Amino acid sequence: MIIDPVCGMEVDEKSQYKTMYKGKVYYFCSSYCLKEFQKNPEEYLRGGPKGMPHGH
Amino acid sequence: MVTEKKEELRITDKEEQLKIIGMHCATCVMSVSKSLKSVSGVKDAEVNLATGSAKVILSGNVRLKELVKAVRKAGYDVATEKFTVKLNVNPEEMPKIERKFENVKGVVDVKSNPGLGIVSVEYNLESTTPEEILKEAGVKGEIINEQRSERSVLYEDFYDLLKRLVIGITFTPLTYLFPFFLGILLSIPVQFYSGLRFHKGAYRALKNRTTNMDVLVSLASNILWFSGIFLHSTFYADASLLITFILVGKTLEAYIKAKMSSEIRIEPYKATLKDGRVVNSNELKVGDIIIVRTGERIPADGIIESGEGEVNEAILTGEQKPVLKRKGDNVLAGGILVNGYLEIYVTRNWDRSYIIQVIESVRGAYNARVSIQNLVDKVSSVFVPIVITLSALTFLVWKFVLGYNLYSSLLFSVAVLAAACPCALGLASPMAMLVSVRRALKRGIIIRDGSILEEIRNVNVAVLDKTGTVTEGEYVIITKKEFINGAFDLATIAESRSIHPIAKAFHKIMNDGKVEQFEEFPGRGIYARVNGNDVIVGSKDFVKSNCDWNVEDEGDILICVNGRAGGIVNIRDKLRDDAKRVINYMRERGIRVIIATGDSSNYADEIGKELGVEVRKGLTPDDKAELVKELRENDNKVMFIGDGINDAIAMREADVGIAVSSGTDLAKSAGKVVINSLDDVIGLFEQAKLGVRKIKENLAWAFGYNTVIIPIAAGSFYPTIYLPPEYAALAMGFSSVIVSLWSLVPI
Repeated sequence: MIIDPVCGMEVDEKSQYKTMYKGKVYYFCSSYCLKEFQKNPEEYLRGGPKGMPHGH
Repeated sequence: MVTEKKEELRITDKEEQLKIIGMHCATCVMSVSKSLKSVSGVKDAEVNLATGSAKVILSGNVRLKELVKAVRKAGYDVATEKFTVKLNVNPEEMPKIERKFENVKGVVDVKSNPGLGIVSVEYNLESTTPEEILKEAGVKGEIINEQRSERSVLYEDFYDLLKRLVIGITFTPLTYLFPFFLGILLSIPVQFYSGLRFHKGAYRALKNRTTNMDVLVSLASNILWFSGIFLHSTFYADASLLITFILVGKTLEAYIKAKMSSEIRIEPYKATLKDGRVVNSNELKVGDIIIVRTGERIPADGIIESGEGEVNEAILTGEQKPVLKRKGDNVLAGGILVNGYLEIYVTRNWDRSYIIQVIESVRGAYNARVSIQNLVDKVSSVFVPIVITLSALTFLVWKFVLGYNLYSSLLFSVAVLAAACPCALGLASPMAMLVSVRRALKRGIIIRDGSILEEIRNVNVAVLDKTGTVTEGEYVIITKKEFINGAFDLATIAESRSIHPIAKAFHKIMNDGKVEQFEEFPGRGIYARVNGNDVIVGSKDFVKSNCDWNVEDEGDILICVNGRAGGIVNIRDKLRDDAKRVINYMRERGIRVIIATGDSSNYADEIGKELGVEVRKGLTPDDKAELVKELRENDNKVMFIGDGINDAIAMREADVGIAVSSGTDLAKSAGKVVINSLDDVIGLFEQAKLGVRKIKENLAWAFGYNTVIIPIAAGSFYPTIYLPPEYAALAMGFSSVIVSLWSLVPI
């Protein structure tokens, strides 16, 4: 199962929220998580998912 | 005590349950909850992922519409339903009725068409039903569904009026011919059957604490009739003539409305199946094969299985020139086969066919309101009380100031009641709107929201998508270079899974291979695993940020294979013939034109130079939406013209979103307007100009009519010009007819 790197939720590969970073595809549960990731990908890739909630 | 209770109700929190669509994780819950709480007046929102619902606690006077809007803005949706209801009210009462519906719990949005007397209500499934809404609003009306179409309801209205008119025409002359008692008896059917509509309408309006045309007619005819009895005069016969004359105008108006409504309706066509059976097109199923011969109308959306012929699709595109269609081509229901023979494989049910989608969309547009309507609504709401006051003043002046007798004073004051017409005011704008939207449709321009006719005139920035809008959208590869052998082949195989116009340039070169994984990033590029290789194809920024790009060459499109520079491709797209003309037209109107494109190639700059406009290149669909938003925040009125599907977000963000339709699925298009080619933009501007002018002219007719006729009716020019009540009534009836007919005049 694919994990949303921002919130740690399980996501489907068919998710419309996705991006490519350094040649690898990442999937997200919502546009919110996608935008968070795009702001600072390294933070989530190094530190792992931050869970819920994340600074709403 | 009552006041206290009201106070209590006002401060009590209200609760609304919403069904949210599209949530699938905790972040979604947070997003929806956050957006709901951002609406002012929302005290709390509990969003439940398991049930897909939201409980919202409202402390202030919050419109449900705001909540739904907030949820939709966050990228989710609220489950709502719509119903349409035909009301027996006059056009000038509509704003009040609309407000009544809006105040009912569970109502999201209300759109009314005063011209046709039809209201469409969007409501929250979770909290109410159409029946409950009607009951709560205290409005009586007939819910229109498949069994009771809008058209049949409007025709029923016309026949009802016609029946009453016939009675009026039959009995009224007799009331003048026969002596007093017999005359009164003969006037009863006219006064209390033919005139019943007006008396009932007046009673209903007064009960609802409003006033309308019926109040004026009922008051005028009853004053005449009863005073005729008490004063032993033929006033009762004048009352009959007054009612009959008003009915002439009203019947004619009802006929025009019914006719207008039926013209936009399409009856199912006859379809011949391959086995020879003839059925209606709404009985066809996907997969049926139908036969169409020369001169016949194509009864369903489908693909040509065999045969060929020229098809005139003017009904759909406004283009009169027939188009040659061959095996494999799409055809749409409504087109006429000018010559040839076709066997068509049906691909869509009648209810989902393109032509039905168009009709559904356009019907929605009729209900739009223009800003001037707010002023008209205000005037309409005080119009009748003012007229009644004027009528009373007229009586008092003639009787007590000028010293005339009771008869003459009464006739002048009743004439004022009979002459004033708020109906024409109520009809002026919706009728012009209805005609404009239909006229645009005949040119192939689908207006889905009539308010754009007004908005488009204020547009000062136009953002145009490039590919497929300004250019033909058919890319060709002009040069290519490989750094890794076979990179181009791998890119071709990968692009075979994409439907992007640039991908189609690759498609032209046939290639076989296995695509194991495929991901598309709109506006940026694609990633695919082909024959065991990781392949990335796309714009410079996208590819370079995901690839170890170690070569200096840069093309329009880069290919990365297994993390290394694989090759480059340069592409070109042809400028559309009409692009220059349309852009010049817009510039002459003082509109700043910007081309916004996902294409990051040098070609985008060349296009900009050739057309002499600004270019923003390498934009994702989100970037385009952001650009539109930014422009709007700087007090610009922004129009976005683009592809119906890819640019949906930018189109929604714009004041006027125009989709250039290349597809056949209108439901997917986000634009408020759908056009067939860029050239239609000029037609749209012209139609908007004509439409808004018509609205103004109609209002001038309506206001002008009342300004002129009321003083005459009050006897200001007596004895030179004088208007008896029955002729004043005739004038009243015809003012609405004039407004309706003037809307139809194409100048």
